[in-house]
Amino acid sequence: MNTNLKISNVTKIYPGCVANDNVSLEFNSGKIYALLGENGAGKSTLVKILSGVIIPDEGNIYLNENNLKLNSPLDAKKNDIGMVFQHFNLFETLSVFENLIIDSDEERESLREKIDTIMKKYNFSIDLDIPVLNLSAGQKQKVEIIRCLIRSPKVLIMDEPTSVLTEQETSELFLSLKKFSEEGILIIYITHKLKEVMQLCDEVAVMRRGKLVSVSEIKNENIESLANKMVGQNLKTIKKKKAKASSDQLIKITNLNFTSEDPFETNLMDINFSVNRGECLGIAGISGNGQSELFQVLSGEIISEKKSIEFNNNYIGDLSPQERREYLMAFSPEDRLEQAAIPQMKIFENVALNNFKSSNFFNNGLINENKIKEHSKKIISDFNVNTDNIELKSQFLSGGNLQKLIIGRELITSPDLLICFNPTWGLDVGAINYIHETLIKINEQNKSIILISTDTDELLKLSDKISVIHKGKLSKIMNAEEVTSEKLGILMGGAN
Amino acid sequence: MIIDINFIGLIIASIMASAVPLILASCGELITERSGVLNLGVEGMMIIGAISGFALMTVTGSLIIAIFGAMLAGVLISTIFAFLTQTLITNHVATGLALTIFGIGISAMIGKNFVGIPGKEFPVLFEGLKDIIPLLGPILFGHSIVFYFAFALPFITSYFLKKTKIGLIVRAVGDSPESASNQGINVRLVRYACILYGGAMSGLAGAYLSMIYTPQWIENMTGGRGWIALALVVFSTWNPIKILIGAMIFGGLTIIQFHMQAIGVRIPVQFLTALPYVVTIIVLVVISRDSRKIRLSTPSSLGKSFHKDN
Repeated sequence: MNTNLKISNVTKIYPGCVANDNVSLEFNSGKIYALLGENGAGKSTLVKILSGVIIPDEGNIYLNENNLKLNSPLDAKKNDIGMVFQHFNLFETLSVFENLIIDSDEERESLREKIDTIMKKYNFSIDLDIPVLNLSAGQKQKVEIIRCLIRSPKVLIMDEPTSVLTEQETSELFLSLKKFSEEGILIIYITHKLKEVMQLCDEVAVMRRGKLVSVSEIKNENIESLANKMVGQNLKTIKKKKAKASSDQLIKITNLNFTSEDPFETNLMDINFSVNRGECLGIAGISGNGQSELFQVLSGEIISEKKSIEFNNNYIGDLSPQERREYLMAFSPEDRLEQAAIPQMKIFENVALNNFKSSNFFNNGLINENKIKEHSKKIISDFNVNTDNIELKSQFLSGGNLQKLIIGRELITSPDLLICFNPTWGLDVGAINYIHETLIKINEQNKSIILISTDTDELLKLSDKISVIHKGKLSKIMNAEEVTSEKLGILMGGAN
Repeated sequence: MIIDINFIGLIIASIMASAVPLILASCGELITERSGVLNLGVEGMMIIGAISGFALMTVTGSLIIAIFGAMLAGVLISTIFAFLTQTLITNHVATGLALTIFGIGISAMIGKNFVGIPGKEFPVLFEGLKDIIPLLGPILFGHSIVFYFAFALPFITSYFLKKTKIGLIVRAVGDSPESASNQGINVRLVRYACILYGGAMSGLAGAYLSMIYTPQWIENMTGGRGWIALALVVFSTWNPIKILIGAMIFGGLTIIQFHMQAIGVRIPVQFLTALPYVVTIIVLVVISRDSRKIRLSTPSSLGKSFHKDN
C-alpha cells in the first residue's frame, strides 16, 4: 500500500514575517525525506501545518488524493499523520502509560498488549509505570514514537529529533526509522544537521526564509552543496589556532559537590578540574546531566563551600554572582530570555543589570542613564548587534543578536574567565560563526573560557581540553586533539 | 465525673459537621487547580452560594431548589471568572481576588432583606439509628444528605483523578497545557469545566453554612472559610484524602477551642482562636514533606494563562 502526501501552495504569514511562502512538495512512502533549513527557515511551521497545530492561510494538503482539512492535531491523528515534536509533548508528572492512554480509545489491557508488542518489535525497553520525568531524553523520544505507532500511522514526521540524543541513541533512532520506512511508513525528517541528512535520507528539500529552495536526491548532493543551499552563500570555515601551552592556573575546582532537593535537578558529585590562562575547557554531555547545576555553582547562583572554587588565588565558592564579577569572572547562561536578559526591559537597561563597581552606572543610588547608554552603544557597535535602537525591548532582538549583546555585555569588563552555557543554542549559522570567532579571540587574548555545551561539533572546534559530564560526574579531562565525536558520544552515554 | 460516651460522639459529629464546608470547597478547588487554574475566588463563590441558598429557601420554600440554586449560583459566578481568565486571558490571581470582593459585596446587598429571618429545618437521615449504637451512633447517623456527600467526596475525587480518563485529561492539562493542546485536547473547554465544577462545590459549601450548619443569613457569614479551603488544597499537596485530614483537624480545633474558652482555660483567647490555623498548616506541611511527591502532584502550569497561538 503506497502513501502519497502532497503539499500544495501552502502559505502562512505572521505579522512581519512570511513563514511559508507558496510551498509545494510531494512525498511518497518507501523513502525517507529530509526537510532541511536553518532556524526560522519555515520548516517547523510547515510541519506544524501538516500536524494540524497551525492552520495555513492558503493552500491544501492531500493524502492519497484526499484533500485534508487539518484544523486541529486531532484531525491529523485521525488522518494517520503522526508527529514527534522537537520539544516533547509529554506530561512529565504522569506515568508513561498514562501519557500513552490519554489520547487512545482502547481499553487498558489491550493497549498495554499493543505497546508491549511494539516495544518488542523495535527493541525498546521502557518501564511503563514510572513518571516521564524520570526518563532520559532518548527514552522520552521513544515514548513519543510509540504514541505515534499505536495509531499505525501512514506518515511519521520527526522534528529535529537528534538535538537531545547521543551519537549512539541517534544511530539507534536511524535504524528504527529505516525499519519504519521499509514497513511502508512515509518518513519526513526535519533537521538543520547536514551530516544526518547524508546518513539517513533519500531525498532532501531545502527551505530558506519561508521559501522552498530546492528538492533533490541525496546521491546528487554533498555536505558543502547542501550547506550553501541552506545558507544561501558560501560559508567560510573557522579554525582555531593551537594555543600555546600555558601553565598559569586561573581557576581550580576542588571536591565540589551539590545535592539538590528538587527531583528535576541533578546532583553534582566530586567535581575536580582546573583551567589555565588562555585555555578553553569544554564540558560535553547530554542535556540534563548536571550542566545547568554546574553552571549555577560556577556562577554563584548556587553557593558552595568557600574552598571548593579557587579563582586567581582567592577562594570564592561562597560568593554571589555579582561578587564573582568583581573578581573578573563573566557569565553567559543558557536561557537568553529567562536568565541572561529580562525580555520586557530595554537594551540599555539590560546592559545596566550587569552592574559592577567600576562601571559607574549608578551615582548615589541614582541611575546614570547617559553613561549606560554610551556604554550600550559601544557594545552594539563592537559586537555587531544588528540594531541601532538601544531603547528597543530585548525580547524583540533575534536570538543571535541577543546572544551577541549578552556576550558583549559580559566581555566589556575584559574578564579573565568567561563561563558560557550553550552559547549558540538555537542560532543560525551566521550568528554561530560570529560567536565562535569571538570566543576564539578571547582565548587569543590569554583569557580563559569554560564552555558547557551539548553541541559536540562546537566543543571539538573551540576547546583545548574536554571533559564529559554524565549524571553529575565529570569524566577525566582529555586533550581536545585526542578526542573524537564518537568517543565523546560513548562517554556522554555513561560508558567508560 | 462520668462523661457520657454519647457526648463524645456528639462532639466528634460536630467537628465533622464544621469540616463539611471546607471539604466541599477544597475538593472543588482541587479539581480547578489540577487543571492549572488558580481561582482565589473561593470565599466569594461560597458567600454567593450561602445567600442564594438561603434566599431561595425563604422565597420558594423548597430545599431542593435552594440547594441546587446555590450550586447554580456558584457556577454562574465562576463563569465570570472562567470567561475572564480563559477567554480574555486575564491574570488568575487578580481576577480571583476581584471575584471574592465582588461576591462579598453582592451577597451583602442581596442579603439585606434576609437578615433576622429564621431558617428552615433541614431533614436528616437515619435519625432513628442514632441512639442504638453508643458513640458511633451520633457520629454516623442523623446527618443531612450534604454531610454524607461531603465525606464521600474526597474518595470520589481521588478515584476520579487517578482512575478515570477524564481525570487523567484534567491532570494532563494542568501538567502541560501546550502538550495537551498539541495532543488535540481542548484545553479551554477542560479548564472551563473544572472552574465551573469548583464554583458549584463552593456554592454548595456556602449553602451548607446558611441552610444546615447555622440556618440563617448573617452578612459575611463564611468568615474566611474560603481562604482556609484554598490553603488546605495547597498544603495537602493537591491530595483529596489529605484535605479530609486537614479539614478534620481544622474543624476539630475550632470546636475544641470553643469548649476550652467556655470552660475558662487560662490561655489567651487570641491564641486559642489562632490555634486551628497554625496547627492545620503545620500538620499538613509535616505529612506532605516528600519533595519528590510534591513535584509529582503539583500542577506544573498552576496559575499560568494558556493562550493557543495560530
